[in-house]
Amino acid sequence: MKVESVLTNKDVPDNIRDAFNECIQPDEQLLFVVVGDLSLKAKYETTAIGVTGSGFMVYDPERGEPLKKYAHSDVSDAKVKRMYGNARLRVNFKDGTHEDVFRFTYSVATLADMAAAFIENIAAGKTVEEEYDVVAATYEKLMNVCPKCGRTLLHPGAECINCQSKGKIAKKLLKYVKPESKTLIFCLFLSVLTTAVALAPPYMTGRLVDKVLPDKNRGALGWIVLALFGTYIFQHLIGALRGYLLRCSGDRIVLSLRNDVYKKAQSLPLRFYDKTSTGSVINRISGDTNTLQAFMLRISQEVVVQLFLGVGIIIIMLILNWRLTLLSIIPVPLVVVGAKIFGRKILPFYRRIWRRWAGVVSVLTDTIPNIRVTKSFAGEERTVNKFKSYNSEWLNVDMSAARIATVFPHIVSFFVTCGSLLIWSIGGNWVISGTGGLTTGLLVSFLSYASMFYGPVNFFAYLNDSYQQALSAAEKVFDILDAEDEPDEAKGNCPPITGKIEFRNVNFSFDRTKKVLSDVNVTIEPGEIVGIVGTTGSGKSTLVNLLMRFYDNYEGEILVDGVNIKNIDLQYYRSQIGFVQQDPMMFSDTVYNNIAYGKPDAHVEEVIHAAEVANAHEFIARQPDGYDTVLGERGVGLSGGERQRVSIARAVLKNPSLLIFDEATAAVDSETEHLIQEAIERLISGRTTLMIAHRLSTLRKANRIIVVDQGRIIENDTPEALMELKGKYYKLVQIQTMADQLARSKKEENFD
Amino acid sequence: MARFYVDGNMAKFVRKDICLVDMELYTGEIVEDLEPRRLFPVSGRMKYITLLDSEGKEHAIIRDVETLSPESREVIVDCLREYYLIPKITGLLERTEKYGVLKWTVKTDRGIQQLRIRNRNADIKQLYDGRILVRDSNDNRYEIIDYRKMDRDSLKLLSADI
Repeated sequence: MKVESVLTNKDVPDNIRDAFNECIQPDEQLLFVVVGDLSLKAKYETTAIGVTGSGFMVYDPERGEPLKKYAHSDVSDAKVKRMYGNARLRVNFKDGTHEDVFRFTYSVATLADMAAAFIENIAAGKTVEEEYDVVAATYEKLMNVCPKCGRTLLHPGAECINCQSKGKIAKKLLKYVKPESKTLIFCLFLSVLTTAVALAPPYMTGRLVDKVLPDKNRGALGWIVLALFGTYIFQHLIGALRGYLLRCSGDRIVLSLRNDVYKKAQSLPLRFYDKTSTGSVINRISGDTNTLQAFMLRISQEVVVQLFLGVGIIIIMLILNWRLTLLSIIPVPLVVVGAKIFGRKILPFYRRIWRRWAGVVSVLTDTIPNIRVTKSFAGEERTVNKFKSYNSEWLNVDMSAARIATVFPHIVSFFVTCGSLLIWSIGGNWVISGTGGLTTGLLVSFLSYASMFYGPVNFFAYLNDSYQQALSAAEKVFDILDAEDEPDEAKGNCPPITGKIEFRNVNFSFDRTKKVLSDVNVTIEPGEIVGIVGTTGSGKSTLVNLLMRFYDNYEGEILVDGVNIKNIDLQYYRSQIGFVQQDPMMFSDTVYNNIAYGKPDAHVEEVIHAAEVANAHEFIARQPDGYDTVLGERGVGLSGGERQRVSIARAVLKNPSLLIFDEATAAVDSETEHLIQEAIERLISGRTTLMIAHRLSTLRKANRIIVVDQGRIIENDTPEALMELKGKYYKLVQIQTMADQLARSKKEENFD
Repeated sequence: MARFYVDGNMAKFVRKDICLVDMELYTGEIVEDLEPRRLFPVSGRMKYITLLDSEGKEHAIIRDVETLSPESREVIVDCLREYYLIPKITGLLERTEKYGVLKWTVKTDRGIQQLRIRNRNADIKQLYDGRILVRDSNDNRYEIIDYRKMDRDSLKLLSADI
């Protein structure tokens, strides 16, 4: 098999292809090639590793001898060492030597992992056929990217969520304008009407100057003044009605846009929030949607009106005097060209302003909810200074933008004024000399029309500014609206869940820099109570996060009752899991609604029963407002232990098939721990339960313990067996027993 | 438990492997196979270098690499150079934006590289001293040491994103 037909992540350059082909023996078959991007000396170079059934070749142009070949049979093991921004494939040979054979950035890290596993497994005696399937599957998954934007697709052939909706912004926004089309068309009609009426006064003024005043015709003067009065009344009445209708439509547009963005924000995966501050998301929902609303109204109304006005005036001006009209439009090309330059200059400023403002908002969302921490650490001044500095940053950028944004309109106005000076000087001369058929009244009318004409010109010049502002806001809003939802391809598939959990070859990293879970393989039978222990950062909570489907981008499979959890309806799946966290989140609502959060249609007695099971009923009953007690933000008004019991009641009410406790008693005193423990024991009977715990005493009901260390499961057995094993669990128990004894004796000393 | 800080001539470092050193203390005690890592990879540069064993357990912290003997300093600097790959962007040669993804062609101290940036707001971080940290779609890191010192063309292209 030649290189052309093998699996590869990129086109193999000719020189590498030739080198590989020369090196391959006639009976050898090249299976796959990983094209790398870094030399062993850490320079950007095209390198490659080609793997056959009997060995592998590495091409690195920075080496004295670019091509090197190794036999699988000489290999003892092959591992990828992840470093910072790069990684190496190190091969240990059976003769005790080792060599770093391939260096690469994270772009090819997954393929290099796969190559290392292939080499190691073949060296260990596994068959090429068996291992090749894994290789092919990895390539298929990795190469499954959108050709336009390079994002990974959900499955082969899937439409790219990112690109499918990338049309013109106006087209996307049209969706929100459409429901208001009737009102907007009516408003447009009113606008055209008022605009048409607005064209009459200059003509009437001209008639006044030319005819009525020189003829001293008081009757005609009265009629003209009355007519002017009528047009003004008409303009303002219709204007008020139009303004009211537009405001209502605009509010409805922004409401629907805001609802959509909020709804989308709810369905985004956690990894979106890992990278995006909540402050910036709030800013997009609150501020940017308003900017877009203003822009949509401007586009749907003012553009048409101003265009109509501009064309109408030009026609009237041409009828009045075509030569003066030509003089009036001299500044227009300058305005148009200027607007284009202005647009190019101002957009980066709007983006910068947005980023600085998002920074200001993120300080707010960080510090206001954490006001207790700030106060308890006397950090008010620091917080204020931080806010000031972010605010100043915003001010600096905004002022730079303001310079451009204010200077440009004045330049436009200057040209416009120069235009009117031209009309005065040339038109005035014609009136004085009596040439060109121009009268004083006509000149006055013409000047009025000319000044009106510069209104639409100004508008279109400014339009670019608001367009750029809207573009900047739209980018942020569509960042959310176009982001990938949590993958839920199995909507509607709701198999009954009894509680068997299997992790098969699960590997996971939040980004590609560090593996958080490696080769996790574990099976938990229905009804088992499993304790998960390990030091902080060992990967216990990540294990649970994957089981909860908070992150789906892991390698391997997680099955519940034999079904891959990715193939179960996401909402249904999560509804089958009771998740009790260390720091339970409460909503600013009544205690009752907080308990009934997972089952809003629960009967009152069900809620009370759940509170009883969770040992929460008594303290709730003692509250003056009982179950109607309204909690402050994040559950202010309840102690940590009380909040925990409310969250357990929430889980009880849900009646889940699987239960997960993530350090549920870590932050409470012994007495409360006892109450919570009692509640947990009532809840877990007969349900598959995973309990992450630092305090090993909370695991006394566990019939199995899993010890996680550096992302790997290192021990997995009954507590008794693990104590006999005298491994990590044994050590943890010893340390905690000693600590408990010490704490007890200190307590006794104090009592004595 | 007090941290063990290494200053000046308190310890000698010998290169063991590409990213591994042996630490010989002035007491004669030798700790083998330690991996030097930056505690502050973004801001600290050559200060506060932790020394971890294969289990990830810390044995000492070098306060300031500059205070070590020249031989030891070279060993630690070489190890860190191998471990950390944060190419320094010296010029922005091309910038395109399509389907919401930014594509930069950059000149770095490691050669020319093309990178994709998915989210301008999250992946380009501008610090106050003119430094800019960039993360590409593959989680590789890049650094612009001081964007104000870049050439005019690069600055013009960069100004759209910062």
